[in-house]
This record gives sequence, C-alpha cells and structure tokens, in this order.
Amino acid sequence: MKAQSVLVSTALGVGLGTLLLPAAALAQTTVSPATTPVGGTVVLTTTTCNPNAGDAIFRVTGPNRDQNVRSTTAAAGGGLSAELFTAGFTLGTYTVTTTCGNGSSGGSATFTVTPIGAAPAGGGGGDGTTGLLAAGGALAGAAAIGATVLVRRRRRAAAPVA
Amino acid sequence: MAVGRWFTRTRASVAAVTVAGAAGLTLITVGLTATPAGPPQPGAGVRGADRSGSPGPVLPRSEPVRIDIPAIGVRADLVSVAGDPNGTLEVPPQDRPTVAGWYRPGVSPGEAGNAVIVGHVDTREGPAVFFDLGRLRPGDTVRVTRADRRTVTFAVDGVGAYPKRSFPTAMVYGPGGPGAALRLVTCGGRFDERSRDYSDNIVVRATAVA
Repeated sequence: MKAQSVLVSTALGVGLGTLLLPAAALAQTTVSPATTPVGGTVVLTTTTCNPNAGDAIFRVTGPNRDQNVRSTTAAAGGGLSAELFTAGFTLGTYTVTTTCGNGSSGGSATFTVTPIGAAPAGGGGGDGTTGLLAAGGALAGAAAIGATVLVRRRRRAAAPVA
Repeated sequence: MAVGRWFTRTRASVAAVTVAGAAGLTLITVGLTATPAGPPQPGAGVRGADRSGSPGPVLPRSEPVRIDIPAIGVRADLVSVAGDPNGTLEVPPQDRPTVAGWYRPGVSPGEAGNAVIVGHVDTREGPAVFFDLGRLRPGDTVRVTRADRRTVTFAVDGVGAYPKRSFPTAMVYGPGGPGAALRLVTCGGRFDERSRDYSDNIVVRATAVA
C-alpha cells in the first residue's frame, strides 16, 4: 500500500516536471560563441528579462572564478547582453546563470574556454634515416680502421726478419 | 703451423672488414637516398564519411589511464595535459613519445561531451604514439580504460586533416552532443624544417558505442 503511494507520487512528480519543463525552457540565456580560445570575447545574452526592470546580472562560475557581469546593452531582440573577455581564464567549461533586474531567473548556459590554436604534436624527422646513417657510418668507420690494421700487419709480416 | 693459423686469422679479418665496409656503405646509401615516408594522411573522402550508430552509455567523470587502438597497434599509457602559459595546448613531453595526453580541463572519456586525447606523430628520433592515426577509417575501434576500471569503446566517425592556422576549435573542444564522444589529435601534412613544425593537425572523431 505504502509502496504504491510512493509510486503514484513519483509518477505525479515526473508528470508535473514534464509539464513545467517548457516554462523553464523559456528562461533563456545564450553564450556566443559557445567555444572560445582563451583570451577571446564572448557575448552573454538573456532574452527572458524585461529591460525596463533593470540590468540583468550574469553570474559566471567555472574552474577558477565566480564573477558577476552586469548587462550593458539592450539586445536587438529585446533581451539584455554583456561582453565577457576571457583573458586569464583557466581552460575548461563555465556556467552562466542569469538573474533579471526584478530578481527572476533569466536562464543559464555554458561555454568552453579552450587552448589557442593548433596542437604542436610532432617533432619531425621521423623517417628513420638518421639511424641508418649513424649505423652505416659506424660500420664503415670500423671497416676502415680494420683495413688499416690489416695492411700494417701485412707490411710488418712481409718485412725481412733481421 | 703458426704461419697457417696466422694466415687463416688474417683471411677471416679481411672478410669481416670487407663485409662491415660493404654493409656500412649500403646503409649510408639507403639513408641518403630514402625519401622520408612521413606519417600516413587521411584518405580522400574520409572526412565527409560519417558513421552513425546507437550511442553508448554516459558515465561519471574518471581519469583515463590507457588507450588502445587495435587497427593501428596503439597501446599507450595516458598522462594529463592542459594549456601552457601562452594558452596553447600542452602536449606530452618529447622524451616520452610513447604516451598520449588526456586534456584534463575537458570531460573524461565516457562523460557527456568531447573528451580530447593528443599524441605526438613523431619526434626527432622517429615515429611516436599517434604516427598511424591518419590511417584510421570510420568504424575502427578505440578503447579507453579509466581509473574506475571501466573501459569505454568508441567507434571512429571520421578522420580529417586541418591546416594549423584554421584549427577546428569548436569541433575538437566544443560542447558536443548529449552523448560521450572522443577527439584524437596529432600532427600531419608537410613538415617544415625551418619552423620545425607540421602544416596540419589530424583529428579523429569518435562516438562511444559501449
């Protein structure tokens, strides 16, 4: 009996959650671009907040920071936005949580700060000929020394015994 | 008797010297004339060839310790890498060319998002851990073993060569989809002796299947 009621309330909870989800999805924050090399600038925008209620606050949290950024611009689409300069940011993923001027939620989004440029993952000269040249040189050198020794020995052997 | 032994020994010495000399000269000739093979490059048309399959499970974070790519004989230990002070991607040390580096600021293999693993294509001494990465084809298997002893199996979706000046940052590190994905990165293209750098990066895209 008890188990059944738990089951029913769970089902109810899931059902309600599903119903409420579209409302939550309306509170929208976007970050553009969603991926930036460190030092790049991203634009934080919320389309949920009413500009007349005051500035929105974007709270940026991530690997090495927890900072608030105040909106500076009323976006063309009716929302509020701010620019965020990522110099000095630790590499990783950051979360932006927006609070509107009237205290309501303006949604949240994530963005990723990545290394700059390409991966320096090669040293070159991987064709193996350096090893061949070294081995060949060593062998040829040894042969030359051997030949010299032999020629000297032969001369000494050929010399008349006193 | 003594003269006979001396004669035999000399003949053996002459033979050894001749063989060593000939072998040495042959090696030098081969070394000088061989055209540098360079690392294999992705085949034409592979870049667009996408494989789509059912995604594998999504796991919690756990540091990866090992990568196996049977198709190209890679069995390598993993170390953690991040960014260097200039903001460029750190790579495993040159004196450890047989290990690959997991990009720690990103997700771990098996977590939702793109996990990134970078490895050298070669060093001055010769081929390194990801020398044959460009040989991978869609459908090939990549296995990553994690510290929690779970092994995530990825299937290759595509392999591409990208000029370093237009590195596909978002595709490699980007947030990615809801499933677990993997990006393998190494160098490719032409090697410029002056800048001691390759022109391209080879990027392998893979999706967790098990």
